Amino acid sequence: MHHAYIDKFAYQDSPVHRLDSRVKLVAVIVFTALVISVPRHSLSILVCYAVGPFAMLVIGGIPIRFTLKHIVIVSPFVLVLAASSVLYGKAPVAVEFGPFTVHTTTGWLQFFNILAKFVVTMLALIALVSTTRFAELLRGLEKLRVPKLLVVQLGFLYRYIFVLIDSVHHILRARAGRKLRYLGAKAELKTAGSMVGSLLIRSINTAERISMAMQARGFDGTFRTHSKMRITLKDYLFCAAACSFLLLIYLIIRPALI
Amino acid sequence: MHMANELLSVPVAAGTCAIAAGGLGLICKAAKKVIASEKLALMGVLGAFVFAAQMVNFQLPAMPGTSGHIVGAVLLAVILGPHLGAIVISSVVIIQCLIFQDGGLLALGCNIINMGLVPAYIGFFLYIAIAAGPAGKWRSFAAALVACIFALEAGAVLVVIESVFSGVLLVPFSTFLITMVGVHFLVGLIEGMITAAVLAYIRQVRADIITACPAQRVKLTKPVFLITLAIAAFIIGAGISLFASQLPDGLEWSYAERPDQPEFESIVSNQDGIITATNELQDRFSLMPDYTRRSASLGTAAAADESAGTAWTSFAAVFGSILTMLFIWLTAVLIKGAR
Repeated sequence: MHHAYIDKFAYQDSPVHRLDSRVKLVAVIVFTALVISVPRHSLSILVCYAVGPFAMLVIGGIPIRFTLKHIVIVSPFVLVLAASSVLYGKAPVAVEFGPFTVHTTTGWLQFFNILAKFVVTMLALIALVSTTRFAELLRGLEKLRVPKLLVVQLGFLYRYIFVLIDSVHHILRARAGRKLRYLGAKAELKTAGSMVGSLLIRSINTAERISMAMQARGFDGTFRTHSKMRITLKDYLFCAAACSFLLLIYLIIRPALI
Repeated sequence: MHMANELLSVPVAAGTCAIAAGGLGLICKAAKKVIASEKLALMGVLGAFVFAAQMVNFQLPAMPGTSGHIVGAVLLAVILGPHLGAIVISSVVIIQCLIFQDGGLLALGCNIINMGLVPAYIGFFLYIAIAAGPAGKWRSFAAALVACIFALEAGAVLVVIESVFSGVLLVPFSTFLITMVGVHFLVGLIEGMITAAVLAYIRQVRADIITACPAQRVKLTKPVFLITLAIAAFIIGAGISLFASQLPDGLEWSYAERPDQPEFESIVSNQDGIITATNELQDRFSLMPDYTRRSASLGTAAAADESAGTAWTSFAAVFGSILTMLFIWLTAVLIKGAR
């Protein structure tokens, strides 16, 4: 079955894909922290920050339209909260932007600020996830001292999400085929409860079979993989590029704008 | 209620990440003793189950068009025990962030605490406390309901507290709190009903899964129960009492004067107290507090008579950035064409 999952581009090959996952992860975290620390009414500097993840996405060969579509899908919660600031920030301000002067309120400035931060940090996160295979990311996390139990758990979880989503599609289709109208609250609830319950039991049975099979093959709680995580020249180059980009914004552009 | 990066300030994000990491580390350590390697697959698959179960929606009564689905923290905590339940739910939250981009990377700490750790423990202990012994049908129904409502409310209140401490949102604390608590009461009610329905089904079909007796997994002593209740009450109560006192509280007046920065002038004239307070909290802790002057530009809001210089700087910066992006994109297109 078809799943619109985000990391479908992670299996491409590009200079960005070949980078070490740890380097990318740390870079994205630092980047996100810097973007969040931008003051509440700044906008223009966020556009400057967008250059970094944009470059990663383009070099990594990730379609920009796909990225934007994905950002739109996950945006509702942020949109609602950001829109609420429009209601409360009524103080009028005049914003000068090049030759233009716009009269607006602080609420609107903040709305766009939150929105822009959201888009920029999402660009960075998508740049990370869609250029890194999940298994690589997990290896990186393990090397970064994330507890092994959690890493193994994430690995299993990722592996079985799509299997179970398939089976839930079957269950949903079966219900849609049998239930042709609204049945009333109690029946609806009971049906949904039974569906989730049978899904749960199915999952537990699957898990039991899986773990028997894995133990028969000698699984002892550690995933052993072939990939060697090693920081090489290209990773240092990426580090240098990322650092100089962030320092450029932080030391030169930011003081000029804020 | 996934928190997004933008709603948090850096110190809050860092603090919650540290708490979540520490908590998860401790739980993993504690769980390592309990867990055998055959349980690993079970936990992983149950995590995946949460994703799948969230797709089972059902129509809500009285609200045509809307539908509810399960979140699953309490269900998993009841089935797996609180430690493993917390790990599984936290891993679900992490995957939601990484694969489905639901919730920000730096907000992960908040999300793990709000939706994973706190609901799992509060939900589990409340459920066990109410449905203790040979639980009857109604008793376990009530237990699931109460556990889910309290677990979700605690998370919702935490969301409000975290975002108020971050000071990014302008919404007054009380309005935000009332909205979140109200909405999550409904969500908790629905979650509770469906959790109860699922548990009832499992009890019919494979009772061994649940009646593998929670008491064996975690010893529920009186102090543990009291502590859980106290924590839940504290979180919810703290939020509500903060709201009730209408906030001339310590937080506000300690920052209202600002002896460290006499030349401070607020950019918005008619702010109310909490916003100013949180504002300054943010200024204080932001990575590079703007101790320099606040000037007019798209960068910061201020009176129009300030120098036009920064306006042009921001203009240049925006267009420079856009040109750079265009340049990168064009180069990529050209390289691709050349191949």
